[in-house]
Amino acid sequence: MSSVPAVSVEQLTRVFRVPGLRRREFTAVSDVSLEVQPGEVYGLIGPNGSGKSTTMKVLLGLLRATSGKCAIFGRDSARVDSREEVGYLPENPYFYKHLTGAETLEFYGKLCGLRGRELRDRIGEMLALVDLEESRDRRLGGYSKGMLQRIGLAQAIIHRPRLVVLDEPTAGVDPLGSRQIRDLIMELKRRGITVILSSHLLEQVQEVCDRIGIIFRGRMLREGSLAEITEVGNRSEIVLEGMTPELMEEIRALAAARGAKWIHDGHPRTTLETLFLEVTSAAAEAARASGGKS
Amino acid sequence: METGSPIRRHRSFSFGRVWTIATGTLTQLVRMKVFAFMAIFAVVLIGASFAFADLKTEQELKMLKDVSFAAIQLFCMLFAIAGTAMLIPRDVEDRTLYTILCKPVSRLEYLLGKLTGMVLVLVISLGAMDLLFTGVLHLKQRTVVEQNVAELEYRPFRSQEEREKAVAEIIEVATQQGASWNLQAGMAAILAKSIVLTAVTLLVSTFATSTLFTIMVSLALMVIGHAQGLAREVLLDEADGAVLPRLVAGGVAVLFPDFKTFDVLDAVITGTVVPGVEVLKMGGLCGIYCVLYMLAAWVLFADKEL
Repeated sequence: MSSVPAVSVEQLTRVFRVPGLRRREFTAVSDVSLEVQPGEVYGLIGPNGSGKSTTMKVLLGLLRATSGKCAIFGRDSARVDSREEVGYLPENPYFYKHLTGAETLEFYGKLCGLRGRELRDRIGEMLALVDLEESRDRRLGGYSKGMLQRIGLAQAIIHRPRLVVLDEPTAGVDPLGSRQIRDLIMELKRRGITVILSSHLLEQVQEVCDRIGIIFRGRMLREGSLAEITEVGNRSEIVLEGMTPELMEEIRALAAARGAKWIHDGHPRTTLETLFLEVTSAAAEAARASGGKS
Repeated sequence: METGSPIRRHRSFSFGRVWTIATGTLTQLVRMKVFAFMAIFAVVLIGASFAFADLKTEQELKMLKDVSFAAIQLFCMLFAIAGTAMLIPRDVEDRTLYTILCKPVSRLEYLLGKLTGMVLVLVISLGAMDLLFTGVLHLKQRTVVEQNVAELEYRPFRSQEEREKAVAEIIEVATQQGASWNLQAGMAAILAKSIVLTAVTLLVSTFATSTLFTIMVSLALMVIGHAQGLAREVLLDEADGAVLPRLVAGGVAVLFPDFKTFDVLDAVITGTVVPGVEVLKMGGLCGIYCVLYMLAAWVLFADKEL
């Protein structure tokens, strides 16, 4: 594995001017830092308007950072050539409806410099990967939401990027379509592609992500591996096989004396959903207490 | 395992990427059935070819050219505005722009691709209208000559020579006013004007908030562009050496395209031969306007927050 991180975001701040006569400003992202290693699947979670999409847009060069730095495999993300390494699927993407599935992939493939046989082979491969071979000649105007997300994912990886950024890839997709997209993300992970994913489906994030960042009101509240951030530090858990209610009081001593097998000693885990709700409501409470200033 | 892009050296500017966006734009407009307006043009043209049958040979052909050129110009210019106005706002609204600019595509390449795509559409539609118009004019020319020569049968001539002279005159007038290469100078002027208008509209759409706004502003610019030469002359005549009117006149001349410089249609319609150098001048001016407007569009679009 390369020592250069796939993504490096350092103290990113993005301030927007609110249109109007008063020169008001709105801080969408404040001092956010994160690092994603090659091959990792990183989940960025947060409620609507928390700054996830803004962070992703700055990372992709669609927005400029007010301050801070973003790099993709060591290259400044504002540079056009850094995008050779990136594939992006925006939230609710609408591609050109007049193009067929195969034409869509051809269009994006050509933009990435693919031509001729290489492009044709790649289109076939991508359509097979996202299970849209039968719809290759249908115009996108007739695609379902799930099919659009899958063709979107295919266009994002047509040029074999090392990093794929997925903004709410399962938004508005039915459970079956959602499962298909989850499987595709797992497949990308298996292929060694780095993935940054933002989603509201916390269960899905927990299922596929190696590391997670919780962002709220533009600030990174918690970041780390799934095991680290779901760990509850002030409690302990014991996992026993053959435990009876009588063993509860003097469990460690009695376990050995009564022949119970000691399986695990560690910290119990909460679910990602519970943690997310706890962290964001605590921050909201704190913000309310301080008069709404984030 | 598939762990990364094949080594492809990134070029900061690629005609291949511009062409891909251009052909994508062409396909988009073709599949939106934008060429359907040519059916209306065909109806106008065929109607015009029957409308002026009572006029003299020269007038009949002139009127056909006049109506046809007016229709071609109107269609091309409105099409340049309406077609271009929706390109960028729609890509922004549908977020298609995100997926394009997240590929190794610079914003300049995107803008040039859109301009080239619109130019391709204009060339194809103008070419089709040109073919149709030239064909109808050629047929009309033949019919008019045949009719006028037939009418000579009822006129008394003192000699065969005199009759032949009258026939030659009819043919000469019809040839001068009929289908000829000179018509292509008129087509070139319409194409140049439409391309400039496309570049202006593209510039407006880089800062516009909606398609409607882009269309309204571009239509206003089209009107200003047609009147600015006249306004400038009046302003300079009345300025009498004053600095402010001269500055205003200069500013208007720089900011807005002067469509009057492309006005060769009257000459083409009356049958006056437009010299090749005039056509070259129009082409050069069109190129200069396009470069200026695209540079301005690039400056605005490069900083556009998406």
